[in-house]
Amino acid sequence: MTDLLITPEDDAFRKQIRDFAARELDPDTRAKVARGAPLSREDFLGWHLSLHAVGWVAPSWPTEHGGPGWTARQRMIADEEFFRQHCPPMPGFGLKMIGPILIRFGSADQQARFLPRILSGEDWWCQGFSEPGAGSDLASLRTRATRIDGGWIVSGSKTWTTYAQYANWIFCLVRTDPQVKKQQGISIMLIDMATPGVSRRPIRLMDGTEEVNEIFLDDVFVPDALVVGEVNMGWTYAKALLEHERLGIGGVGRSKHLLERVRGMARAAGLDDDHETRSRLAALEIDIIAVEATTLRLLAAAEAGRPLGAETSLLKIRGTEIQQALTELALDIAGQSALPAAESGCLEPPFENVAYQFLNWRKLSIYGGSNEIQRSILAAQVLGL
Amino acid sequence: MTMQIRFEMPSDEALLLKDMAERFVADHYSLAQRSRMLAAPATELPAHWPRMADLGWLGAALPEACGGLGLSPQQVLPLIEVLGAGLVLEPVTPATLQCATVIARLLPEDRASDVLAPILAGQQIEVLVAGPDGMEPAVSARPVPGGWELSGTVRLVPGGAAAAAFWVAVDIDGAAVLRVPAAEAEVTAYRLLDGQAAASVCFDGVLCPPDACWTGARAALDAGAEMALFGALAETSGLVAALLRATLDHVKLREQFGRPIGRFQTVQHRLADMYICREEVRSMVQLAAEAMAGEASDKRRRLLSAAKVKTGDCARAVVRDAIQFHGGMGMTDELAVGHMVKRLLVLGQAGGTRAGHLTAFSAAS
Repeated sequence: MTDLLITPEDDAFRKQIRDFAARELDPDTRAKVARGAPLSREDFLGWHLSLHAVGWVAPSWPTEHGGPGWTARQRMIADEEFFRQHCPPMPGFGLKMIGPILIRFGSADQQARFLPRILSGEDWWCQGFSEPGAGSDLASLRTRATRIDGGWIVSGSKTWTTYAQYANWIFCLVRTDPQVKKQQGISIMLIDMATPGVSRRPIRLMDGTEEVNEIFLDDVFVPDALVVGEVNMGWTYAKALLEHERLGIGGVGRSKHLLERVRGMARAAGLDDDHETRSRLAALEIDIIAVEATTLRLLAAAEAGRPLGAETSLLKIRGTEIQQALTELALDIAGQSALPAAESGCLEPPFENVAYQFLNWRKLSIYGGSNEIQRSILAAQVLGL
Repeated sequence: MTMQIRFEMPSDEALLLKDMAERFVADHYSLAQRSRMLAAPATELPAHWPRMADLGWLGAALPEACGGLGLSPQQVLPLIEVLGAGLVLEPVTPATLQCATVIARLLPEDRASDVLAPILAGQQIEVLVAGPDGMEPAVSARPVPGGWELSGTVRLVPGGAAAAAFWVAVDIDGAAVLRVPAAEAEVTAYRLLDGQAAASVCFDGVLCPPDACWTGARAALDAGAEMALFGALAETSGLVAALLRATLDHVKLREQFGRPIGRFQTVQHRLADMYICREEVRSMVQLAAEAMAGEASDKRRRLLSAAKVKTGDCARAVVRDAIQFHGGMGMTDELAVGHMVKRLLVLGQAGGTRAGHLTAFSAAS
């Protein structure tokens, strides 16, 4: 796979990342990532601790809060190289979402209390945004908070909460003022999952995993100290969060990783000289190059002082389309080798996760703002329609 | 050599050329002006060729030692994008990016300067004659007393209609190039469907003296072919952006069912897809430009092939929806849209097939 980030400085940095991953990553975890298998809490946490030990676990954080001081370009290289070395893609709820929100909008007390515990892996955060009635139309959320002395009583439910079973904290968007325009009455609250009134129901997905959950909040008390920033500013903060790490949303590292896996499948299936398969692989590699080149072009513009706007939505759309197309190509290569059920014991490498990944990765075009929402954002904010 | 892909911003000089080109197109290339130029015989030197020479465009990408401006592909890109979007009829890519590059690479410096002088002065056009990939011979040469005798007909020579001479790729113990004055060949001038002048040229019986023959031309022909491909990509980039702009303007104005059609979500989402195509074209063409400036030949060709495949796919998608959203008006000869679509059609078909570039890309991975 062609790399575009290969100036001599890039190469030196890349080697540092590669050597570290080769040395520190647990071999069992590496093998799981290499074959696309579902990862456990221990897989994620083990790698998290390795990264934390050298100060690399939060690449985008400012150095005063424990970030490594990498440039955006270096973060892209690190992301790509970690994927290449089969490192677990770290869930971003603490490191990429609530961490940056607290750094930007949190109180000094909240920063001192939570940021070190995100870095150390002591806290695992999950995200309470979507609700049964509020998906793409997130601002219509109905979980409500009622003012009482010293804090709020929160009631409602959240859904699609990824890895809530591992989490001890959840950050939630809740309605603190039902009288105003829907975007203006929302706040962000930090809730300890052990608080009375918080309960969880796992959601079994069609691929057999239970990586998402429903969270029920029944008269949960949230003290004022756990409201982020100002009351009723939650929507603004969440939008700022969506702009954080925007350049990473093309998922170039993830795409390249899957492309190489699918190439390996083509070899294993004896299709590496098959014209149709080669053409599809080549076309998808070119598609990935286009996303990478666009990412770098936007990065260069950002470095030249032009702020990134909504145009990064295109990276999410194209990146996820490519990844889903790769899961389809993998299915076509695997043929009926993909068919035994996961628990049958009859699936053989390298095809054991092909069907399950096809099913699981349908999520890519749904989550993080569905691709239809992203197109609407481009139309409204970039094209002025 | 390692590649220095940095997506640097265009230099002031590049932006100046671009501004000048935008003014030029606004002043001289309205649809009405262009259609008057199309009424002229294809064999005439195109109207603005001398003016383009004065503005320095014809030598923009050539070394300074040969009388050019010595600009890198990245720095020429904004200029060519504007000329592409402006639908100019002068054969800038075949004559100056391809043929002149071959001349500058193939001939000794002083000889190259002499040969290029009338071209860069806007007095004449000379173009390369080669196979569709721009590298392989399309004509055969047989040694005879006093030089070489040519045979063969090349049916599509871009920019060949008004050419004063042809630089003909042949095989003489390896790649070689012969210079043939146009008067010695049988030239049938015609226009392509986008209005660009071209020619079918028959070289049967043409005699070429040894002093008009240069052997060891492989590297020069390759460089010319790459510049030709790059030129077509750059023009494509300009045209795709212009088509998106035109379509966007149209859907904001055109009202149906009591509101601008751009208010309908299905239209909005497809405009978003056109926008994505424009951005990806821009990225790939800049990537190709940077690769040409600094990358070893195998990787350079690989990225050029990737750019050709991707821009071709994106351009076709943009062409489809640009016409679709202009509705019946998009089908007419009266809007720039139809002319841009035809130009994109020509650019997409030239410079090697999608399958060929995909195979080349795949073989090199």
